[in-house]
Amino acid sequence: MLPSLVWLIPLLPLLAAGWIGLCAVVGWYRGERGERPIARLAFAAVLFPLLLLLLLDVSALLRGVPGQLVFGSWFASGEYRVQLSFTLDALGLSLATLVALICLATLGFSVDYMHREAGFQRFFMLLSLFSGAMLLVVLAGNAVLAFVGWELAGVSSYLLIGYAFERKSAVFNATRAFVTNRVGDAGFILGIALSLLWLGTVEWPQMAIFSREVEPFSKGLIALGFLFAALAKSAQLPFSPWIARALEGPTPSSALFYGSLMVHAGVYLVIRLEPLFSQVNTLLLLMGLLGLLTALYGWLVGLVQTDIKSSLIFSTNAQVGLMFLECGLGWFELAAWHLGLHAVWRSYQFLHAPALLQLVSEAAREVPAWLRRWPRLHAAALQRFWLDAVADWLLVRPTRSLAEDLQDFDQRVVTRMVGLPDQSGSLNSLARWELLQQGRGDADTAVGRGRGMAGRLLEWLARVLYWFEEHLVLQGAGEGLKQAIDALGGYLKRVEELLSQPRYLMLLIMATFTVII
Amino acid sequence: MGILTLLLAVPLFGAGLIAAMPSDSGRLIRGIALGTGVLTLATAWGLLAGFDPDISGLQFSEVHRWNPRMGTSFALGVDGFSLPMVLLATLLGLVAILASTNVRQPTKIYYLLMLVLEAAMLGVFLAQDWALFYVFWELTLIPLFFLIDRWGGANRHGAALNFFLYTMGGSVFLLISLLVLFDAVPGHSFSMGDIASGAARLPEQTQVLIFLGFLLGFGVKMPIFPIHGWLPLAHVEAASPVSILLSGILLKMGSYGLIRATGTLPDGVLALQGALIGLALVSLIYGGVLAWRQSDLKAMIAYSSVSHMGVVLVGIAALNVAGLTGAVMQMVAHGLVAGALFLLIGLMYERTHTREINDYSSLVRVTPRFAVFTTLAFVAAVSLPGTVGFVAELHALIGGFQRWGWLVLVLSLGVMISAAYAIRSVGRLFTGPIRPRMRHVPDLRGEEMVAAAVLTSGIVLLGLYPAPALRLVSASVSRFSLAFGL
Repeated sequence: MLPSLVWLIPLLPLLAAGWIGLCAVVGWYRGERGERPIARLAFAAVLFPLLLLLLLDVSALLRGVPGQLVFGSWFASGEYRVQLSFTLDALGLSLATLVALICLATLGFSVDYMHREAGFQRFFMLLSLFSGAMLLVVLAGNAVLAFVGWELAGVSSYLLIGYAFERKSAVFNATRAFVTNRVGDAGFILGIALSLLWLGTVEWPQMAIFSREVEPFSKGLIALGFLFAALAKSAQLPFSPWIARALEGPTPSSALFYGSLMVHAGVYLVIRLEPLFSQVNTLLLLMGLLGLLTALYGWLVGLVQTDIKSSLIFSTNAQVGLMFLECGLGWFELAAWHLGLHAVWRSYQFLHAPALLQLVSEAAREVPAWLRRWPRLHAAALQRFWLDAVADWLLVRPTRSLAEDLQDFDQRVVTRMVGLPDQSGSLNSLARWELLQQGRGDADTAVGRGRGMAGRLLEWLARVLYWFEEHLVLQGAGEGLKQAIDALGGYLKRVEELLSQPRYLMLLIMATFTVII
Repeated sequence: MGILTLLLAVPLFGAGLIAAMPSDSGRLIRGIALGTGVLTLATAWGLLAGFDPDISGLQFSEVHRWNPRMGTSFALGVDGFSLPMVLLATLLGLVAILASTNVRQPTKIYYLLMLVLEAAMLGVFLAQDWALFYVFWELTLIPLFFLIDRWGGANRHGAALNFFLYTMGGSVFLLISLLVLFDAVPGHSFSMGDIASGAARLPEQTQVLIFLGFLLGFGVKMPIFPIHGWLPLAHVEAASPVSILLSGILLKMGSYGLIRATGTLPDGVLALQGALIGLALVSLIYGGVLAWRQSDLKAMIAYSSVSHMGVVLVGIAALNVAGLTGAVMQMVAHGLVAGALFLLIGLMYERTHTREINDYSSLVRVTPRFAVFTTLAFVAAVSLPGTVGFVAELHALIGGFQRWGWLVLVLSLGVMISAAYAIRSVGRLFTGPIRPRMRHVPDLRGEEMVAAAVLTSGIVLLGLYPAPALRLVSASVSRFSLAFGL
């Protein structure tokens, strides 16, 4: 009975988000008076799933976990089928409970924190959206459904980082974070596609079983795709810099997203795919290595930070790096425990961060002495190892110049060829309008002008045909005919005149007689 | 007296009545003309009640011996080809009379000539005897010559003479072909049926030669590409009501005659099928491109007529059911569309005294009714779905495709060019910055709006529900194309 209601768990927060969004569009619950009903709705929409999850947990403790639940086919194409399924195993249930709990705490915290802020409704909508998305990620029974939650979480993160969209930096950072995440999504999609192709399924349990039967290269490629996604979402090297930019959003969202929940989504994905990863030793090695490097990176950079949120985020980074290291060493269960504990602890720290400044009286600790003895390392840590600059140099700038070139090509070649008005078109019509107001027409309005290649061709054809029409049909045939008839009439008149003269008449009569005789 | 004779007699009677009136009673004369137009319309549309669309042959036939020694007879009748033309002619005749509010004096002669012209045109569509057909064919020339020459624009004398010479030149070939046919057919009769049954037995070579004569005679009227020289001049110079009749019905006489000639000489047409489609496609593109090049609105519509009649020729040349249906429908469509365009542009010209498209601007604010009707007519000229032109061009396209395959893509190209000039015209006329000169243009008035509304509603109604019109022509078209084994 209870497990059959599991689909309500991610759906309720999503519905709440939709309803709040609708209210915002229609204009209900605006302003301060609308804060309370909105907050209550969002709260209830997470509270009910939490209660449901707790009941599920109790029944799981007593009677064992329900396991994989299939509610039907979502869509199918040929042999490929994606189902509406949920995985209610120990990992999924416990993490879902944790997610619901932290979301609920953050929602409660936000009611006062966001009080009288512009965009209160928007914030709660996004938080509900994120709660639903996160619950979907951890409960989903297959990779496609998890990807839906994965993307919704990414979108709500983008919208929350750009919460203060009137600030330029917020918008820039939001875009940067989102784009970095999308790079990881490419890996996720690759993983899904290859799973469908080689394993024939995207259900987590079946993937684990079928992956034993395919050749090492194939499963390595599938795992690599998912690993890529996990590294990006969890801000591991080389994707780390986006998470520092993500602090632009309001504090509760930072707590939720980067302190405790979303940053762990990558770890969750790796743990979920443990059977797959543990078959590919190379990837485990890579994962452990990147985790170790990230841990070192987070630790070193965290040492030199001077504000609370930044130091917290880099220490989070280091902890998540350690989790990847644990996974790389094969200690997946340890990583899962680490994940849960770290999420609780870090969300407490982040939510506490604004008040912390009031509580601590002494100055922040200085950079340790040994680091000061290594000035280059110190500088590198201060500069966060130039990761952003490298990414800019390697990816952003070439992409931008390529885009500029293409734009140039479009304007110079395609637009001209097709004959679209260029950007100065509006200026042109303004100038035309002024000319007309002054009573002067302009040459641009002449009929028979074509723009673009087809237009030019038509113009040329029209000119040729017009010449033909003018000279041959109208003047040649029409006028010519008239002139010819006029001329003929003239000759005939002349003959007539001649014939009417007596001497020619006589001549004619004589000729007639001659013929007769 | 049969109903078809009555149909011919009504406008002639009206003309006689007008002739008896004193020439200073302008309103009375206009009233008589309008009444006659309405009566003719009612008589013609009354035919629909008794017309059985399932019969492919002639209906309401009347035959009176005329000159037994020559083998001529006064034979009338309608079938699926001629009835739509008769209905169209009476409708446009009335619209033209309605639109003649501002003609120059003397109006008495004007209305008299208009009614005689209407009777002559109806005679062409009703005649079932080639001699009678030729008489009516030539009879249309006389009132038209005077209408253009007396009530036209600045260059009217040249235009009228040009028109007369071209058409007479064509008629000479038409007459020669008729006489050769008459000579070759044993029965010594000009009746269309007798001639058709006799001519079908002629050798192909002879048929080709005779058909070429017909092609020249009818091609001038239609017009087909190299012999269209009279049309731009005559359309531009004629007064707008005359232009309505000229492009709405006179051109259809050419294509109607061509259909009749095609039925008479099947082998000759089959031999010339390739040449016909070539001429049709060239006319289509040629007319479209030149229409695009014109800044004179009336010249533009005139050249677009060449293009649209090219579609008719495509349909005729295809010789199959879809093609011929498309041809007849396009004749109806072009009659309505060109009629509406000439009507509206003519009324506009009376107000602004310019046909130059560059002088117009932003009329949608000043004259919203003009804008609605003109836009509708232009859109129909592009054969947008929902207008009668679409039904016609689709049929012609299908018919052409069945016969020639991808060659008829040229037709689509013609449609694209027509879109270029139609949309350009709508844009120039009704949008853009307001010009000082165009600030005080009066909008359509009652009678004018009735005339415009009749035509545009015909365009839209037949576009949305073409089934009755298609049913009207289907039986005759099926029998016709059966003769070609297609």
